[in-house]
Order: sequence, then structure tokens, then C-alpha cells
Amino acid sequence: MSDHGAGPRSIANPEIDITDVFAFPSPERPGNLVLAMCNFPFKEIEATRLFFSDALDYRLRVRPVRVSTTGPNAAFAVGEQECFFSFTFDVPKMEGDRMVQTGVCRGPMGDLTLRVGDEAGAKGNGVRAFAGCRLDPFFVDQLFSGGMRMTRKIPPVTGINSVEGQNVLSIVVEVEHAKLFGPEAGPMVAVVAETATNGSFRARLDRVGRPEIKNFIMMDKAADSVNRDLDIRDLYSEEDGFKLRPDYIGAYRARLNGSMAVYDSLDDKVDWPLDEKGTHPLTEMLLADFLVVDMSKPFNEDGYLEIELALLDGSVPKTCGGRWVNHDIVDSLFTILINKRNGPRISDGVDGTAVPGSKTFPYISRPNPMPPKLAALVGIPT
Amino acid sequence: MNVVVNPVEAIRTTHGTIALSHLDGQIDGLERFAARGEMESRAWVELVDLITLRAQILGRIADYERASLIAEQRSEVAPGDGLAFLSRARTRASLHRFAEAMADLDHAAELGQTGREIEVDKAAILQAVGLYAEAMTIRRGIADASPDFEAAGGLASLYADIGDTDAAEQWFDKSSLRYRSVSPFALAQLEFQRGHMWMAHDPERAHRWLLAAWQRLPQYAQAEGHLAEVEEALGDRHSAIARLERLAAESDDPDFAAELARILRDAGRHGESEQWRSYAEKRYETLLAWAPAAFADHGAHFWLSVGGEPARALALARINLEVRATPKARRLFDAALAACANTAIARSA
Repeated sequence: MSDHGAGPRSIANPEIDITDVFAFPSPERPGNLVLAMCNFPFKEIEATRLFFSDALDYRLRVRPVRVSTTGPNAAFAVGEQECFFSFTFDVPKMEGDRMVQTGVCRGPMGDLTLRVGDEAGAKGNGVRAFAGCRLDPFFVDQLFSGGMRMTRKIPPVTGINSVEGQNVLSIVVEVEHAKLFGPEAGPMVAVVAETATNGSFRARLDRVGRPEIKNFIMMDKAADSVNRDLDIRDLYSEEDGFKLRPDYIGAYRARLNGSMAVYDSLDDKVDWPLDEKGTHPLTEMLLADFLVVDMSKPFNEDGYLEIELALLDGSVPKTCGGRWVNHDIVDSLFTILINKRNGPRISDGVDGTAVPGSKTFPYISRPNPMPPKLAALVGIPT
Repeated sequence: MNVVVNPVEAIRTTHGTIALSHLDGQIDGLERFAARGEMESRAWVELVDLITLRAQILGRIADYERASLIAEQRSEVAPGDGLAFLSRARTRASLHRFAEAMADLDHAAELGQTGREIEVDKAAILQAVGLYAEAMTIRRGIADASPDFEAAGGLASLYADIGDTDAAEQWFDKSSLRYRSVSPFALAQLEFQRGHMWMAHDPERAHRWLLAAWQRLPQYAQAEGHLAEVEEALGDRHSAIARLERLAAESDDPDFAAELARILRDAGRHGESEQWRSYAEKRYETLLAWAPAAFADHGAHFWLSVGGEPARALALARINLEVRATPKARRLFDAALAACANTAIARSA
């Protein structure tokens, strides 16, 4: 389930929980970079009663990135320069018969004051920002994904979106890419999202780059050669996405190697042979856990992981990469992990939400006024 | 924790307005799904827990009644569901029906509910009835296995009940430093417990922590009520009365009216005092008829104080001592006994 409930801390505290991060060239305005994050899943609450926490800093971080090597050891070199968009929110106030919340987006081009839920967002200095309740853009059949981990088999397809009709709190920023790092920085950027406390005691509470790293891949302890009784995801979420601490990197590697080897075995053939140390070919690339967008290329709906796979293959990426709101990352990731795209597409049978995102700002669909009851399975580790 | 740092600023949490909006929304949503028959057993537990949390924060007795009603009904509808008995154990413990609550936990375990969830509830009951050594064994075990906010907070509250304030302070600090959330509820409750511990020993320190709990969560009625009590002890009667007048008017818990009546009486405002005393008395009568064990303690305090009936206080203090033989319950009983003796002496004199 993308990054919904990805660890005990997020399960216990949904308001800190980042569910998804998106980054893509604007389909409306070429040259603009769009960054988005969703938070606070699984709340069966009317959309009008859902508010951002005034105690959190919701942060979208961007750094310039370039390719340092290609081939089996392909890697990115992340620049030290950083731009971030930090969103903080006020305590809602009564206006007429409803509560209204305002917030501030602090970014490299200055501050923008915004009203939560305002469809037009706030604009200024080459930046447009939106914050508000939206329909959860993620879609997955958790019976399929969880069943795969539980049974070590590819389950039959039931095709039910486990989070259909649920809402999340979304933040969207659109910015002129050229204004971020200057012309010498190159066209590629790396993106992560974080939630952190905003008191005098600062702590990163959640952090997300790519979807499903923590749930599909890190949650499965059984194939781990080092830690078989540790839910490693809270530790991982505390990390700086651009620079993992050396303290736990071995534990993360072991978890990814073991878990991804299991996925590769599900079709009874090996598409991702491990090296002599047991390292999966994707491990290092996925531990560089940020979205990579190439702003020299136009908007593409299916760019997710295309840059990374092309680099590993020693070929030239063809798309902008990043992640578009409607991309079916569940099918993409399962197909990559299980057969490296050498076989049929592995699908959970869910190809979109009932109301897919549009190609106009703020890109993520309007909220469901009253979300339906979640299935018992949702949010419970499977 | 550094004493010069404001705890509310040191660990910022979501404002009460937002947190309570979400809490109300969650409860309403679950109630709606329950009415449509769409609830599975874990969601019933969540509903009862959320209603109980709201009861604790807003001082809303009606919520305790609602939580109890749901949990009692649920255990009848689902007699093979361990979660139903876990949930009922919690509501019964909240009404001081400790023996029945412990039996429910044992039954839940027989039905397959195991692990930390059961252990935490067992420790809380053992602590509540004064079996501190048994509670300590469980709480230590939990803290060794998972040294997190809740485990450290459990040990802090246990040391506070035992009266070891030094150890309690250390665990309160550890617990706060382990907090990795922005929900205000658990942290405000921890600060309330810390303030409550100091009320009998050091009103200044009690004030600091009760104020923190209230500032963190301005809707936290119990914290504000105790804050008023400490303010009055520290000489700020005006503020105490203002707080209690509002709480007594808004809450269905008679404790605020009882305390207000006492302070008004001590201030010489006898007419107003009598109005609140009379209101509190009627309300205690009603609640004692519904849940005698739950209100025996506070009822005894009331009739021992502004209620002015030591014999009634003694009867209730005896009930309280029977359900939990804690040092505090013993002190209340002794005070009621002494008040009765003094009354008898006064009458005979």
C-alpha cells in the first residue's frame, strides 16, 4: 500500500503518515516542476472535518542530481544544494458555519499564504501551491499484494481497490524549474517528502521517496538474512532520504536483498541474479530512495522508474521519469520485481481510482465528502 | 527534561481544536458504520477506546456511559470474540469494576487475545487496586521488551502511585523524550499524571505540569479542574473560580461543581456555594446509583468536604477501599472515620 501505514509509528499516528509522493513536469506548463505529497490516510471522517496538523512541518525537498555511473553499478550523485518547500498550518477558525484553515508555504522564492481547500491555490514568484483534502490517488488490491507476501505465490486477481473512496490531505507545489538551482545545475532533480515536528525539539517522523519501498519490500521480514524480528521501517523513515546514515545501511540492504529475491522467485525463474555477496541488482538503486525527474523531457504518464532501469541496463533513459499521479505503480513494481519485464505484466487487477487525477492543477481529484468504511484488512500489516 | 523549557513548546503537538475535530469525526464515522452493520470486531474496540478517550479529555460522563453500553452489548452479541471482552474489561476498569475487568481479560486471553495489549491492561488494573509489585513485574517486562513512550509512561505512573517521586520523575522524562507523535492526547495525559503526582507534595511543580497539560489541550477538563485546585492552593482563588464556573456549567461530571462549591464557601460566597453544592449532590446521587464503585471515591471526598455528611462519606470510602486497597483509599477511609468520630464528639459535647 504505497507508503500508507508504513511502520508502527505511522500506523499509530496517521497524521504524520506520508502516503504518496509525486514529482513530474507540469502537463499544463512545460518547464514547470510539480511536487506533491499526500498524508493522513484511513480516516473515515467527512472531508470538511479533516485538517492539517499545526504541529507538523510538511516538507518537499528537491536537490539537483546527475548520473554518476551506468550499468550494473548505476548510481546517482546527489548535489549538496537544496531547495525545499515547507508547509505549516494554523489552527482552524470558524468562518460562518464552517472551520477554515490557513497555512504558509515557505520556499526559495519567498512565502505564500494559502487557504486550505482553495482549488486555485496560492500563486507568487513563479510558485503555485495548494493544500487540502483530496481523494486518495493511490489504488491497490491489498488482498493481492498482501496475499503475495503471505503465500509466496502470485494470487488470483479480485480487482478491488482497497482504498477506494478514501481521502487524504494533499500538498501540491508547482514551480518554474529554472528558478530552483540555476542553469548550471542540469535538468535532473531528486525529490523526497518529509513530516517533522516543528517545536524546539525537531524530529523527522516520516519520509518517503519511492512508493512501496517500505511496504511491499521492507515489511517482509521472513527472507531477511540478518533481522527476522525487526520492523525496520520506522528506522528507515527517520533517515535523510538524500543521505542514509551508515549505522543501519547493512540492515536495510539485507532486508531489500532478501525480500526482492523472494519476489523474483515467484514465477519460478531468476531474472535478477544476486551477486556473490547476495546483493540484488536493484538494491543500491532503490536505497537511493528519491524520485528522479528529468526536466529536459516532456511530461510522461509512465515514466516511473524508467530512468533508473535504463541506467542499470546501460541504455539512455527515454522519459522524464518521476511519478505521475495516475501511474499504476503496483503493476509496474510487481512486474519489475518478479520478471524484470521479461514476462507478462503482473497486475493486481486495479488500474485506477474511480476518479483519476486530472492534468490540470492541483492534479489530484476532489475529496469524497464522506469516505466509506474501510475493509478490515486495510492498514493492518499483511 | 530541562526545567526552564516550556514542555508545550519543547514537544509541540496538534492543537486541541484539530485533534478533537478528528476524534469527533472518527467516532461519528464509526457510529454510522456500526448502525449500518458494517463493523468488524477490531473497529468496535477502536470505537469504545475513542469514546473513552473523549470521556477522559472532556470529562464527559455520558461518554463513559456510551462506551460501557457498547462494550457490554458487544460481549453479548459476540461471546466468542476475545476483543469484545478486552474492550469490556477496559470499560469496566474505567468504572472501577476491577475484579470483573480482570476476569474479562482472563476470558479474552482464553479466547486467544494475547500479547502486550492484554498485559498493559492487566498492569493498569493491578496498579489501580494497589498490587504494585505485580504491576511492576509486568510494566518492567513491557519496558524491557519495548522501551517506548507508553512503556515508560506506565512505569512513571506506577512509581507515582507508589510514592517514589524521584523514580517517577525519571520515567516521566524518559517517556516524554520517547514521544514520536504530534497527537496531543497521550502527552497531555502524561503531563496531567505528573502534575497530579505533585499535588500532594509540591503545588508549584503540580501547577507547572497541570498548566502544560491544559495548554497543550485546552479542552482537557480534568487537567483544568485540577489546575484550578492548585491555583487556589497557591492563592489565586479568582482564577480557580473562573475556571471551575465554566467547567461546572459545561461538564456533566459533578467534581467541578463540588470543588467550586468548596472554594466559594471558603470565600464566604455561601449562596452561590450552596447552589453548586446542591447540584453536585444530586448528580453524585444519580451517578452512584448507576456506577457506585466508580464514584465512591469522589462522592466520599464530596460528603467529607462541602457535602457535609461524614457518615455518608465513610460508607462510600469503605466501598472504595473494598474495590482498591491503595494507600490513598486507606487515607480517605481514615479521614472519613476521623470526621465521623469528630462529629460524634461534637454532638455529645
